[in-house]
Amino acid sequence: MITTLTAKDLMLFEEEIADLFRAAKIPAVVHLHSDPSAAEHMIEVFDTIRPQDWVLGTWRHHWQCLLKGVPAEEVKAACVDRHSISLCFSKYRVLASAIVGGIAPIGVGIAKSAALRGSDEVVHCWFGDMSAETGSAHESIKYAENFDLPIIFHVEDNNSSVSTDTRATWGSKTLTYEKEKHPKVEYSYYTMEKYPHAGLWERVKF
Amino acid sequence: METKTPVFELNYDIREWKELKYYAELKRSMNYLAAHPATYFMGQSITTRQGNAMRSTLVDIPKEKILEMPVMEDAQLGMSTGMALSGFIPISIYRCWNFFVLATNQLVNHLDKLKEMSRGEYQPKVIMRVGVGSERPLYQGAQHSGDFTDGYRLLLTNTEVIRLDEPDQIFPSYEKALNRTDGKSTLMIEWLDYYAEK
Repeated sequence: MITTLTAKDLMLFEEEIADLFRAAKIPAVVHLHSDPSAAEHMIEVFDTIRPQDWVLGTWRHHWQCLLKGVPAEEVKAACVDRHSISLCFSKYRVLASAIVGGIAPIGVGIAKSAALRGSDEVVHCWFGDMSAETGSAHESIKYAENFDLPIIFHVEDNNSSVSTDTRATWGSKTLTYEKEKHPKVEYSYYTMEKYPHAGLWERVKF
Repeated sequence: METKTPVFELNYDIREWKELKYYAELKRSMNYLAAHPATYFMGQSITTRQGNAMRSTLVDIPKEKILEMPVMEDAQLGMSTGMALSGFIPISIYRCWNFFVLATNQLVNHLDKLKEMSRGEYQPKVIMRVGVGSERPLYQGAQHSGDFTDGYRLLLTNTEVIRLDEPDQIFPSYEKALNRTDGKSTLMIEWLDYYAEK
């Protein structure tokens, strides 16, 4: 474990970013978490993540940055600097992308590199349920599993891609990685109630 | 039983034979790249017995520096970017432009954008080799013979696109791509017809 942050700390950070956005201090999109059980789960996942490991993610990535050890003030400054959507901190080996499914093969490349270098680095790569259904994610997971690369894909399922129902649009009651056991995939669920996909439920004038 | 004497018809005048410098320069460039400890070659049909023409430029390179990839063009470039973020200088090989088009997402949205996305913290350096499919003596078809160089120059800001029209360009261009320190990647366009013509 890199930090001693609690679920309450993570929730409060999102509220602080929401307040900055509401006050028009962040002139860019933000994607906020609001499910305390998701915060608890992420803290559990980070129990085994070490400083030398890589943490990759998506547009909703504040919590991963904080749990990887990026100081809250640095994350906040990056958000104010309009980078919440793709938070990157090389010193902490943190990288995020706002392209659905796009981060997966990058993670595989870092894991392949670690394997070739004989390093003990592990890549932790987060993405959502719709991303997990893309061809890019399927190729990446298949490649990583077949070559036993040091990477774990953390799928966070809120059954939604922006506001599109993932299961309805794929015509399936269950999604690929929740119904099959995959050694490189860790699957969890979360809800979005307090905040929409991006921004706030209220109108902010910039 | 009468046996026919095989007849070979050359499609060129043997008296006009000349050294194929284009191919020789490519091979020299690949050997130069391979001598760098961080380089790593990856692509499809680059180690197989009946590989693509680019394979022939890699024959001197140690096997441990070459990775045969499945057909997943976009993921290949994503993997190349990931490797470049963690200590390697990948040479990512695509036998024709039309196939490389499938990697456009990773090129335009990640490799070319990471410097801006990360406020300059991540500057992966990848060398991409892309062929313009040959037309002579065999036409490869509309889906294997495109040249989209000019269009991609308009799409990219942090990737230099170099089309290798003449043999003399080849080694200096690859030398620059390997040693550049401006945080840019390089997209090299090779005419596969010239492998056997120039």
